[in-house]
Amino acid sequence: MNLNVTAIVLQTALLLLLAPLLSGCIRNWKAKLQNRRGPRIWQPYLDWIKFLRKDMVISEHASWVFSFAPYVVLLTALMAGLLVPTIIDQAPLSLFGGVLALVGLLALGRFFLALGGLDPGSAFGGMGSSREMTIAAIAEPAMMLAIFTVAITAGSTDLSHMVQVTPGATWSLLNPTHVMAFAALFIVLLAETGRLPVDNPATHLELTMIHEAMLLEYSGRYLAFMEWGASIKQLVLMTLLVNVFFPLGIATSASPAALGLSLLAYLAKLLALCGVVVLIETTNAKLRLFRVPDLLSAAFVLATLALLSTFLFQ
Amino acid sequence: MNMDPAASHEIGSQLITLMAALMLVTQLLMIAQRMLLTSIRLFAIQSLLLAAIAAVVAYYHNASHVYVVAVLTIIGKVLFLPWLLNRLVHRIQIHQEIEPLLNAPTSMCICGGLTLLGYVVARPFTSLQRLGNNTLGIALTLLLTGFFLMINRRKALTQVLALLTVENGVMLAAVALTTYGMPLVVELGIFFDVLVAVMVLGILVYRIRENFASMDTSKLNQLKG
Amino acid sequence: MTNALMHDLSITLLDFCLIIYATGAVASLLFLRHEKTATVVSFGCSSVAALCGLIACALALGSGTAASNQSFELFRSLVPYVQFTVRLDPLGAFFGMIVSLLGLALSIYSFGYARGFFGRKNVAVLGAFFNLLLLAITLVFLAANAFFFLMVWEIMALSAYCLVSFEHEKEETRQAGVLFFVMSHIGTGCILLGFLLLFQASGGYGFDLFHGIGAHLSPGQRDAAFLLFLAGFGVKAGIVPLHIWLPAAHPVAPSNVSALMSGVLIKTGIYGMTRVFFDFLGTPPGWWGVTVLSIGTVSAVLGVLYALMEHDLKRLLAYHSIENIGIILMGLGAALMFLHSGHPALASLALIAGLYHTINHAVFKGLLFLGAGAVLHSTHTRDMEEMGGLARNMRWTALFFLVGAVAISALPPLNGFVSEWLTYQSLLQGFGATPSLVRLMFPLSGAMLALTGALAAACFVKAFGITFLAQPRSDHARKAHEAPVTMLLGQGILTAACVFLGLFPTSFLKLLDPVTQQLLGQELSGQLSLANGLVLTGATAHGGTVSTLGITLMLVCLLPVPGVLWLVFARRSKTRIGPTWDCGLRGLTPQMEYTATGFSKPIRMIFKTLFRPRREVQREYDFSPYFATTIRFESHVEEVFQTRIYRPLNRLVLRISRRLRALQAGSIQAYLIYIFITLLLLLIFAL
Repeated sequence: MNLNVTAIVLQTALLLLLAPLLSGCIRNWKAKLQNRRGPRIWQPYLDWIKFLRKDMVISEHASWVFSFAPYVVLLTALMAGLLVPTIIDQAPLSLFGGVLALVGLLALGRFFLALGGLDPGSAFGGMGSSREMTIAAIAEPAMMLAIFTVAITAGSTDLSHMVQVTPGATWSLLNPTHVMAFAALFIVLLAETGRLPVDNPATHLELTMIHEAMLLEYSGRYLAFMEWGASIKQLVLMTLLVNVFFPLGIATSASPAALGLSLLAYLAKLLALCGVVVLIETTNAKLRLFRVPDLLSAAFVLATLALLSTFLFQ
Repeated sequence: MNMDPAASHEIGSQLITLMAALMLVTQLLMIAQRMLLTSIRLFAIQSLLLAAIAAVVAYYHNASHVYVVAVLTIIGKVLFLPWLLNRLVHRIQIHQEIEPLLNAPTSMCICGGLTLLGYVVARPFTSLQRLGNNTLGIALTLLLTGFFLMINRRKALTQVLALLTVENGVMLAAVALTTYGMPLVVELGIFFDVLVAVMVLGILVYRIRENFASMDTSKLNQLKG
Repeated sequence: MTNALMHDLSITLLDFCLIIYATGAVASLLFLRHEKTATVVSFGCSSVAALCGLIACALALGSGTAASNQSFELFRSLVPYVQFTVRLDPLGAFFGMIVSLLGLALSIYSFGYARGFFGRKNVAVLGAFFNLLLLAITLVFLAANAFFFLMVWEIMALSAYCLVSFEHEKEETRQAGVLFFVMSHIGTGCILLGFLLLFQASGGYGFDLFHGIGAHLSPGQRDAAFLLFLAGFGVKAGIVPLHIWLPAAHPVAPSNVSALMSGVLIKTGIYGMTRVFFDFLGTPPGWWGVTVLSIGTVSAVLGVLYALMEHDLKRLLAYHSIENIGIILMGLGAALMFLHSGHPALASLALIAGLYHTINHAVFKGLLFLGAGAVLHSTHTRDMEEMGGLARNMRWTALFFLVGAVAISALPPLNGFVSEWLTYQSLLQGFGATPSLVRLMFPLSGAMLALTGALAAACFVKAFGITFLAQPRSDHARKAHEAPVTMLLGQGILTAACVFLGLFPTSFLKLLDPVTQQLLGQELSGQLSLANGLVLTGATAHGGTVSTLGITLMLVCLLPVPGVLWLVFARRSKTRIGPTWDCGLRGLTPQMEYTATGFSKPIRMIFKTLFRPRREVQREYDFSPYFATTIRFESHVEEVFQTRIYRPLNRLVLRISRRLRALQAGSIQAYLIYIFITLLLLLIFAL
């Protein structure tokens, strides 16, 4: 079993360094669309380095689970990222797991995040944990069905294989299976990364928080790890969407020219997806919690339609 | 055009399939939708996709009268009817739907089942070597889900919209499956039929609103002796 | 060691195992008055016996000698037609391994747990029936003819009833025991009818005669047999809608018994189904697989949904057993469908997924029940709303419970994830292998499996979080102390098993080879492992791969990342302990924490058509409703199966019985007329 250590290190560095940029871009463009100046694109880097430097206050009621959770969140997000092809069409650790392992790792991170929210004994944290686990549960069938559809057309759950098999020719992307599976997974992306219309990442009203509520008691470097982990998770899910459905420009060989071109294409695709997210965030209001199942069941039916069209459209 | 006819046929077929699938998606979104203005907008998008399909069919079959159908659809169903319905909504001042009979997730699942039914019924026809042969399933689905929408909602306006989507489904089947589209006379006839129907229904809705202070058609049973 | 030697060794160890269980049962009753001796004798015997059984079965499977299928008589019977034959075939050995592993861990745990009953109840009785139950279950897996099978099945049901009713001074326990008893016998009746059907076609009772008997039955008879066995074994396994005894009986039994019941007793149902469907009935028609797959999916989803509504820790775990049985049945159903469409390799994959989940569930559910038992032992309550903050005083129990919770939520890298991964792979490949429209069932079942996994994770965040984290919500929880060493040791054994089954699946899959070889003629473990066994794969051309060991090692290797960040930026930062943010109120009380009922409220609202929740709030006040003196809050979730199915069925049966009561006229002449008419009819028929 030959693991390319350089690839692993480079991909880890890429994930770590690119994730804050995406968060910053989304915040900045959202502000621009709302006719504000907004924070700088590289503000998250400065924020999280500041968090790392600060002192930490840990609740007197918290147990070791509280301190364990940030590491789990960060490490599972990084590990999941190593399973996805970013610049080259073979992910560094594709042997260790495919899309099912990716979903499982993100679920493990979420499990400990929710426990970390319950640990300090604050009602806000409990509420955030409860809502987060509920929304994740309702998003799972849609996500799994869409992933199944893509795995069926590609013939395997291995992500590198999926990227290699999806035809790159432009007009085959008009395949309704792909369009509908992409739409379903996009809605699930909004739910999993806590973006409007499911959750408002910029709110400071505790009763409207989902993800932020679980982080209320975290400070200092634990907060930095949690935020960074969430951001990497967002990057991983976006990479999944972008590379599996539009693998245009991804490098098939390890030559520097191909890699450079692929990096530019990857960044362009990611930023385009960020643009779509910003558009949707700006034009939609946050849904009531009990309206979120409506949205996610729409995603489920879209995924079912995508599945039907794999064999009923041929 | 120096693409060989088989490849262009392929692109055309893919385009039609994609647009038909998007029509189905707009139908599903309408089922989950509670804001009336958004439903009208979704109907306009659906009709636009239908016009685009007609245009593609006309291009590949060199049937110019189908272009006329496409243009008529745009003028009538994408521009005029939505404008009419919008005006109605603003006059009535009711912007939201009341609670439907079945909640959104259940209706979505039922529509998923209806989609499957439509596809299964249309399967024997997909062996025909036509340009839009796999759209019969979608046309049937539009019909079935349109009916379901009519049953599930209680506001008269949404029921009108549902009827229009049923008509869209029938048009899709006609345009995509027949060789040169239906004869122009028939098309025009259906078109004006629908136009008049909507105008009459618009007046009726306004009257219902005046008499019962709501568009809830279940209140019509107060008219019983 | 040669094969013959291994075979002899495993048979000898098996004999020891059975004899020592029997000894333990009897000997324990000799020390009715001496509690400590009784505990040591009974649980000591069961530990040794379980260890012998474990080694015997593992040897038999590992060395491949189990395939010999020789049956031998336990002891000579004096009655003709009745033989007490047992055999150690691969399927039986696999399940025997499960019961022995669990028996070992539970017996060690019981040394400490039984001390909680000293002075209150008779521990000798507990020990005796415990041994008897383990003996009966082991014999169920080893029985080689239908008659003996039914005998030990009955003994198992009776001893389980006695154990469930151990604390019979409580009303709840008595009712649960009776419900368990009645449901168990309904199931046994169906199994009996099924065996009679098979006996008609084969002429004998031996299981070797029944092998492949399905070919000799007419299609109608086969379908009838399928339904009878599905219902009969399904009651024991706890499938929806035959599950109502499970959430009643498991909580009220002593915790080691609950663990045994959830871990192994319900698996006897799975054993029966596997034995009948794959060994006896041969190639199935399509609708069998579809039925089993559907029942599995429905049980899984409903089980976890009802589990989320519970705040009694043991009832929650009982409902999760229903969910996991559903997942096992999904694997079995998929295997039946593949058998029908002629793909034995895929059927093996699905069967392996189902059987792997069987042992996984036994291990992590046993672990969770032992943890719940330890919590019950310390806090004297099963209600989660009165617990909290136990992670401070019960460190090891909390850690073991957390491992069990991560395992049951199917999170990598533990064993639940591996068996669900295998199930997903078989469902995925099933889609391509089935030609008709039925193939849609596979992705939809996969989506439902994903739903149950995520809901289970939500449920265990609630269970672990409310029980062990934050502040204690009652005095009991505040004064909780760590469980005694033997209880921790029992939990530790099962935790180690969870970790082993999770990190080294390829090694374990070799033990399943003889089983699939016996039932389906396929040996798949070679195809399922890559890279010297470090990676598990789904046995297709570009199949997906997963390596839980690799993931774990990689996660450890990634630790330098936060380490570097700490070194570069955070070295000078300090950490201090402070109060939780309380919005300036000065001091959070435990009453301000989130409750278990509150945690599951969003799910209750989203699925309210299923749950039909009812809420009652009553206030008493003196002068203003805003300053209430008492507030009473009641929240109910409707028990759908009881009110819609079982109560009407009960009423119907009672109505029919009242009509039939007319037959008991009380007059001698009426009875003489009945006898006379029967005699006349018999004579006429004999003509």
